[in-house]
Amino acid sequence: MAKRFVTTKVEVEGREETKVVELPTREPEPWGVDASLHIVGRRDKRMDALEKVTGEAEYTADVQLPGMLYVALARASVAAGKMQSLDLAPALAMPGVRGAITMDDVPGIKLDGIQVFDRTIHYVYQPIAAICADTQEIAERAVRAIHPAIERLPHVLDAASALAPDAPRVKPHGNLHRASPRVASRGDIAAGLRDAEVTITREYRTPVALHTALEPHGAVAAWSGDRVTVWESTQGIFNTRSDLAEAFELPLSSVRVVKNYMGGGFGAKNGASLAAYTAVALSRKLRRPVRCIFDREGEQTDAGNRTATVQRVTLGARRDGTLTAISLDATIPLGIGGWLSSPARMYSEMYRCANVRTSETFVFTNTAPMASFRAPGNVEGAFGLESAMDVLAHELEMDPLELRRRNYADHDQDKNRRYSAKHLDECYRLGAERFGWSRARSRKRDTSARVRRGVGMASLAWGAGGGPPAYATVRINGDGSIEVLTGAQDLGTGARTVLAQVAAEVLGAKLDDVRTVLGDTERLPFASNSWGSITTASVGPAVRVAAEEARDALFEAAAGMLDTEPNELESRDSEIHAKSSDRCLLFREVCEKLGDVMIIGQGSRGPNPEKTALSAFGAQFAEVEVDVETGRVRVLRVVSAHDSGRIVNPTLAESQLEGGIIQGLGYALFEERILDSRTGVPLNPTMHDYKIPTIGDVPEIDAFFVDIPDTVANHTGVKGVAEPPIIATAPAIANAVADALGVEVAEIPMTPWRVLGSVRGGSIA
Amino acid sequence: MRLIVNGASHEVAAPDHERLLTTLRDRLHLTGTKLVCGRGECGACTVLLDGAPAYACLTLTAACHGREVSTIEGLAQDGELHPVQQAFIDHDALQCGFCTPGQILAAVGLLDRQPHPSEDDVRRGMSGNLCRCGTYPKIVRAVLAAAEGGAGNG
Repeated sequence: MAKRFVTTKVEVEGREETKVVELPTREPEPWGVDASLHIVGRRDKRMDALEKVTGEAEYTADVQLPGMLYVALARASVAAGKMQSLDLAPALAMPGVRGAITMDDVPGIKLDGIQVFDRTIHYVYQPIAAICADTQEIAERAVRAIHPAIERLPHVLDAASALAPDAPRVKPHGNLHRASPRVASRGDIAAGLRDAEVTITREYRTPVALHTALEPHGAVAAWSGDRVTVWESTQGIFNTRSDLAEAFELPLSSVRVVKNYMGGGFGAKNGASLAAYTAVALSRKLRRPVRCIFDREGEQTDAGNRTATVQRVTLGARRDGTLTAISLDATIPLGIGGWLSSPARMYSEMYRCANVRTSETFVFTNTAPMASFRAPGNVEGAFGLESAMDVLAHELEMDPLELRRRNYADHDQDKNRRYSAKHLDECYRLGAERFGWSRARSRKRDTSARVRRGVGMASLAWGAGGGPPAYATVRINGDGSIEVLTGAQDLGTGARTVLAQVAAEVLGAKLDDVRTVLGDTERLPFASNSWGSITTASVGPAVRVAAEEARDALFEAAAGMLDTEPNELESRDSEIHAKSSDRCLLFREVCEKLGDVMIIGQGSRGPNPEKTALSAFGAQFAEVEVDVETGRVRVLRVVSAHDSGRIVNPTLAESQLEGGIIQGLGYALFEERILDSRTGVPLNPTMHDYKIPTIGDVPEIDAFFVDIPDTVANHTGVKGVAEPPIIATAPAIANAVADALGVEVAEIPMTPWRVLGSVRGGSIA
Repeated sequence: MRLIVNGASHEVAAPDHERLLTTLRDRLHLTGTKLVCGRGECGACTVLLDGAPAYACLTLTAACHGREVSTIEGLAQDGELHPVQQAFIDHDALQCGFCTPGQILAAVGLLDRQPHPSEDDVRRGMSGNLCRCGTYPKIVRAVLAAAEGGAGNG
């Protein structure tokens, strides 16, 4: 008998995991290049746009329940310390205040390795208690009545001070993460450097960046009997459910997590948040619905961040540009906790090179914990690697694009396995052509002008193949309307729409007849977090299988009604035709005759191909203008070419590309969390002081896909789209700035101050 | 006090210091208007006050006595979307949708003042509304298309 459960490799956020997968009931033939598809690949409109333009889309922050109470959080004002006393009485005595919780109410519940509401203070803005009241205003006023006595302890804010010999201890075991240094190598780096005819060494710095999702972290919880329903702004309803069930010692079936719409995640909302633990605990204690939504200051200070990095890079090459050695020493402060996202990944994967050595040192500091942030690791690594590649090209007097082409990696060198497909060469070709790269490169630089132009480019790779487990149900109602049910999330990506397109394609249905239902653990089959750019590639194949099963059942029913065989039928626009006669029936007519018989198809995601790397690729080209008197950088245009396999809906996918590029532009030019170097207090926890791009900063963007289905990756030919575009933007812009100025830029964001520093320290006076 | 929201009259018992955003969301349950920064930095709570865009987080309810407040919920008339709403759908000028109500009302206000804006006018006119998903290129297109269709003349 064939095995039902097997294991397979799935890559998420640069980490490869082994997953158990239940083999699908069928594994359809891949939709190849020549597949005749009508709805997949079409520029349909976003299916939830109507709810969003009318204000009817209900986000977590919009959930209002009868008797609901509001929460405000008390937070620490020192970077390290011991709380001697926490007197809540003045707050609890205020009219309208209904209760509070501290660490004692949530014993053993941890977030990022830290006890929730811990009495030991690890960073400024760490939550220490939650107050619950009839209105938000009363709760906030009550929090201001709390004055905890905290004994200050010495703290460290950055990696250099954390690694100093006599540094205060951030964690009991010390300031180095156990996995530090994480060293990976292939070949012989010393030999590679000996073989090099040209060697360059540089140090690059990247900032702590904040997700700044417009909808903050938040949750509403309501108990009924021994069960709790939680609305949470999350990228993973099932992850949130298991986190909460474990923390509150409940069976999974006693926790229902709902998330219909969410106002952005970008990686920071991957499980139960502090808001969810707080709302659930307070709601249990007070037996009323409780809402806990972070305020903006809380969101900007304590809701995750992209880690800063210092990257010391050495590249060695032959005169003809062949890379002989790539070496990286990176230092990455995590804050008080988080996971080990890897800037090294770009260095070992992007280019062909026999000798690579990377070393990553992860350090704890007295700052808020990091979290995944759109392409974590690769964004930081790309800035270092791709900046260094341009320095090398300059040394070799070679076109930067040519240098990259000469070091094209045709397989996954670390694991010595093939790529399912790789069309980065097409991205280079089409991107350069649409940008006018050769022409722009050969343009003479005016080194006396105040405003100078430059061009730059960078490459990207991202493991975006998705994988199991993921389940979907397709059901056809008595009136012929169709529902796709799956526990995935739509963060604003368009998942609702593209999953409906897959189902409509298989069924031969009108897209308008299909509705995708997401975001409810109690009513929907499992799908994993929407992270790592995996949703369409993970869930799409499951939807395809489910829709095929439903179509087969529908055709069997119709065959009897049309006096023919199921394989003699085809469908289009929700109408079933007999191939041999002109007889046809609408889906609705078939279903009405079936009465209350409901056609249900079940599908699951099959395993990934063995010994195969599944990656998305791309290349970005940027043109900038730099004012050498003010230091202001303006990005004029970006051309971005992507290989993400088949594109289900080009319009929605291009929207994601544009969004990624714009976030990357913010990372390159403006975005940086700034701490007071003495106290560790964040100095820019507002949207005025932490600058994200506005509509006025946006350049002309030409972002597109080569759109070649990856038939090896999965049977829909799809790979991920969401994260790749942010990876190459900062280095492409930095390389363009360096081209404009004739001096290198080694640190982002490239604020006017830093640019002026480069200008004055460089060859331009 | 009396507050007119989307043409309907409401008696609200808001204290003098309450902001319009709180009144709309927590008293009238009109949650289409979003709280994001709460201090006039992002534009997500944009409403129309006597037809002109205003940040509901910086507007006191008490100052709105007898004035016309329009929110996203009142923009469609008789089941017909406002042309700006339709243009946002047609041009995919939204992703997560959280900033969308504010963007749309800012655009309605802009086209009312300036029915035939240039691309630069749109960028300037919409620059008080932040979007983290980066839908800006599509927003520019949507607003220009709505203007083209005469959205600012009604």
